[in-house]
Amino acid sequence: MTSKRSSLSLVALLLTVLFLQPAYGQNASATAIKIPFETFKLPNGLTFILSVDKTTPTVTVDVWYHVGSKNEIAGRTGFAHLFEHVMFTGSGHVPYGLHDKLTEGVGGNNNGSTTNDRTNYFENIPSNYLESTLWMEADRMGFLLDTLDLAKINAQRDVVKNERRQSYDNQPYGRVIEIFAAAMFPKGHPYSWPVIGSMTDLSAASEEDVKAFFRLYYAPNNSTIAIVGDFDPAQAKAWITKYFGDLPQGKPVERPNVAPAKLDGNKRLVYEDRVQVPRLYIQWPSVGTKNDDDTALSVMSSILTGSRTARLTKALVYDSQLASQVFAFQNGSEDVGQFQLIVVPRPEHTLTEIEDAVDQVLRKFISEGPTAEEVQRAKAGLELGFLRGLESNLGKADQLLDGAVFHGDPGFFSTDYQKTLAVSAADVKRVAAQYLAGNRIVLSVVPKGKKDQASKATDSEVVSMLLSGPQGGR
Amino acid sequence: MKRHNPTLALGAIVVLVLSSVASLAQQTLDRTKVPPPGPSPVLRVPTWTKTQLSDGAMLIVSERHNLPLISFTITFLGGANQFEPEAKRGVASLTTSMLTEGTTTRTGDQLSDALQLLGTNLSANIGAEEGSFGFVSTTKNFEPTLDLVEDMMLNSTFPADALERLRGRTLVNLTQAKDQPTVVGAQVFAKVLYGSAHPYGQRATEASIKAITRDDIVAFQKAYFQPGRAIITVVGDTTAATAKAVIEKGLHAWARAGDKPSFDYPKLPELQPAKIYLVDKPGAAQSVFNIGLPGPPRNTPDFFAIQVMNTILGGQFQSRLNANLREQKGYSYGANSGFGFGKGPGAFRAGGSIVSAKTDAALIEFMKELKGIEGDRPVTDEELQTAKDNLIQGLPARFASVTAISASITNLAVQNLPDDYYQNYAKNISAVTKDDLLRVAKKYIDLNHLAIVIVGDRSLVEGPLKATNIAPIMILDVDGNPVAAGASGATNR
Repeated sequence: MTSKRSSLSLVALLLTVLFLQPAYGQNASATAIKIPFETFKLPNGLTFILSVDKTTPTVTVDVWYHVGSKNEIAGRTGFAHLFEHVMFTGSGHVPYGLHDKLTEGVGGNNNGSTTNDRTNYFENIPSNYLESTLWMEADRMGFLLDTLDLAKINAQRDVVKNERRQSYDNQPYGRVIEIFAAAMFPKGHPYSWPVIGSMTDLSAASEEDVKAFFRLYYAPNNSTIAIVGDFDPAQAKAWITKYFGDLPQGKPVERPNVAPAKLDGNKRLVYEDRVQVPRLYIQWPSVGTKNDDDTALSVMSSILTGSRTARLTKALVYDSQLASQVFAFQNGSEDVGQFQLIVVPRPEHTLTEIEDAVDQVLRKFISEGPTAEEVQRAKAGLELGFLRGLESNLGKADQLLDGAVFHGDPGFFSTDYQKTLAVSAADVKRVAAQYLAGNRIVLSVVPKGKKDQASKATDSEVVSMLLSGPQGGR
Repeated sequence: MKRHNPTLALGAIVVLVLSSVASLAQQTLDRTKVPPPGPSPVLRVPTWTKTQLSDGAMLIVSERHNLPLISFTITFLGGANQFEPEAKRGVASLTTSMLTEGTTTRTGDQLSDALQLLGTNLSANIGAEEGSFGFVSTTKNFEPTLDLVEDMMLNSTFPADALERLRGRTLVNLTQAKDQPTVVGAQVFAKVLYGSAHPYGQRATEASIKAITRDDIVAFQKAYFQPGRAIITVVGDTTAATAKAVIEKGLHAWARAGDKPSFDYPKLPELQPAKIYLVDKPGAAQSVFNIGLPGPPRNTPDFFAIQVMNTILGGQFQSRLNANLREQKGYSYGANSGFGFGKGPGAFRAGGSIVSAKTDAALIEFMKELKGIEGDRPVTDEELQTAKDNLIQGLPARFASVTAISASITNLAVQNLPDDYYQNYAKNISAVTKDDLLRVAKKYIDLNHLAIVIVGDRSLVEGPLKATNIAPIMILDVDGNPVAAGASGATNR
């Protein structure tokens, strides 16, 4: 995910992964898993999800457009995210700067983020600023192009290039995401480029590209908006109708036809980075969040690395101590997914040793499957995680919108929760065999000039063929 | 508009023309009119009770029953700066990690499995001036989780082999940190400002981590985790009476001991004339800036004025630094500033990551904004109002979750602030005047003694930085040590 204002450092990402690790028992259903909500649809196709929670006198407006980097075309990568920035430069009736003044300047905050699949914009504000927020969101949905010019686009282009430098090029291991995207999918596949895009493509975007993109994807019928927090639903509906009601419906949006991730054979890659500690990354093609196997794969990631006694953690970090850290996670997008593994070695051990040790653990796991107790522990933290998510207006809004946009049901979180609770040891054994035994990509990131530190170095292809230096594009 | 960019001023004219066309087309709705806010919501500050436990610890309980959640935190006054010897920097964090490695009745694996079954993640951290140990659980799992926490705190066995494993991991982390330009920037900045003799300039190093023994860990645990300096904060779905009973029972073995630490720090090294400290990172795509000097402690009477001043300078997205360096110039993904308020002279720092080719131009703009806030560019009424509104109306977010409430309440006790601090916050911020802003900017941002620490590609940036004539340049290595003249600054290849 790539955001307008702030970026997650790797440390933060790793902490998030750790924090999300499921943990607690089958009696979880003792607490009702629910977020009360109602939906409200305008004739122009714009859907609203309203959920009242008066605990704190704040409210969140969260706008999702069903467009992400996968809707881009080759030669214009990074466009959806560049556009996200442009959305903060003012619109027909909202001069540049007013958006921040009416959110941050009154004690709230705002931001946007872009993924492969969707772009969102949100405001967390004191509850008495709901009307002005709806007015601003309606204005940039309906009147963005009125004041858009090349100077604004160029200013944000520079900012985005610096975001790329800060979050990817100047970060140790920061280019792993794009190496995997290019290696996992065939050229031209909608998931084969990173959300941030390439420097060359960012330079190439024209004013007309930006305008055409807006007309196609930023129409009411491609948007869903959640309002969550301390507000009066009847009043909110009146404001919604007032500000969004006369925005014209756009053309129907064509969804890209996305082939599932599939590797014809194993790939072994090595990338030289400005780092001192090498790392081993392994990815297997898996499935997206619409596929039922997504939940079993998530449970499996916890069984492999979610705790001290998890299979890979225990074997690599505690028993053999080949590694200082190991993380596995299922990364599911709307259409495709990858099961990912990251291992940070201890200095006295090679990536080759580590890969062999990983394989030894996985072979046993695939043939035996997990115990019932391992599965139970992996799911034990679900209830607490869900309840903590309910403390945040934005967290609730994103849950409801994820369900509405990707699964056609704002209440999908509940289905997903029940599906995860229902995951059995047999399910995990099946997905382990189905996905982990298949073809994969092994990437060794090594210090500059140390290709020999790669796992099975002589069999590995050097990635600098794919990517140029830190300042350039592909 | 407060903008200076002529291109954007032209844009503003276009806005006016187009918006009048749009409003004609829409007859019923005048979209040019900014909807006014409704009446301000009443600030609801949570209430809490404070009691002394029989072992001497302070217990704070704040009830909140909207969800079946409880947050539990033990905070210890004093941190690594008060309790770590210089040669053993890192012993505090190794000790907290060791707490999960086993007790007299449970192995590390058993502790981990038990916690995972309860669905709870522990957080344990000892920072520079305070430490904490805590968790959030569901209401029904509060007591069993607390039982595990108490076991770890009172009965840990600190197995020697676990220390070696954790030491190995810590050394890998230290090596990886040297590859992170932002981490290197922060570490070198601290060393330049405070020197190695001041705790604020010290940190865990390979040498200090290697020097720590199991005896050091055991001694640190005994000295540090004492009820006399502990504040236990419980927030959520419980009552003061229940929480007290449960905790008194669980901690009955905790003997009354420990005093509140003193926060006396050694004298700061003498301030040096402004200087650029350049750390070479060959191939870096950006230059990481940290500009500043030692600042006032949290208990300064200037706290509220500084908050408002910094909000205008670099505390929010629309602040001067970000508006200039990011939004107008496009040199960066973000620039900001802040004060590291603590018990001692925490730093004022302005900074950001700047595209290498604009390193010199960015330094000129940073200096312009610092001079601006000291009077070259007077604060406008609008800036003052927006900054105050940002701070005052942002208060409810400090009470939006059990952990946020816990942190907000605990902070009052840690910093010796009055119980009605949040009730009086709006009044205190509102009282700040433009004269106050000017006074604190001049007092705390001493332009003649700024340390300008830049981590970037020396071959690209040294010449242009020199040409700005802003300050002389000294080359440092990634550990903050001077590099001999003429030598390459690259030490980490």
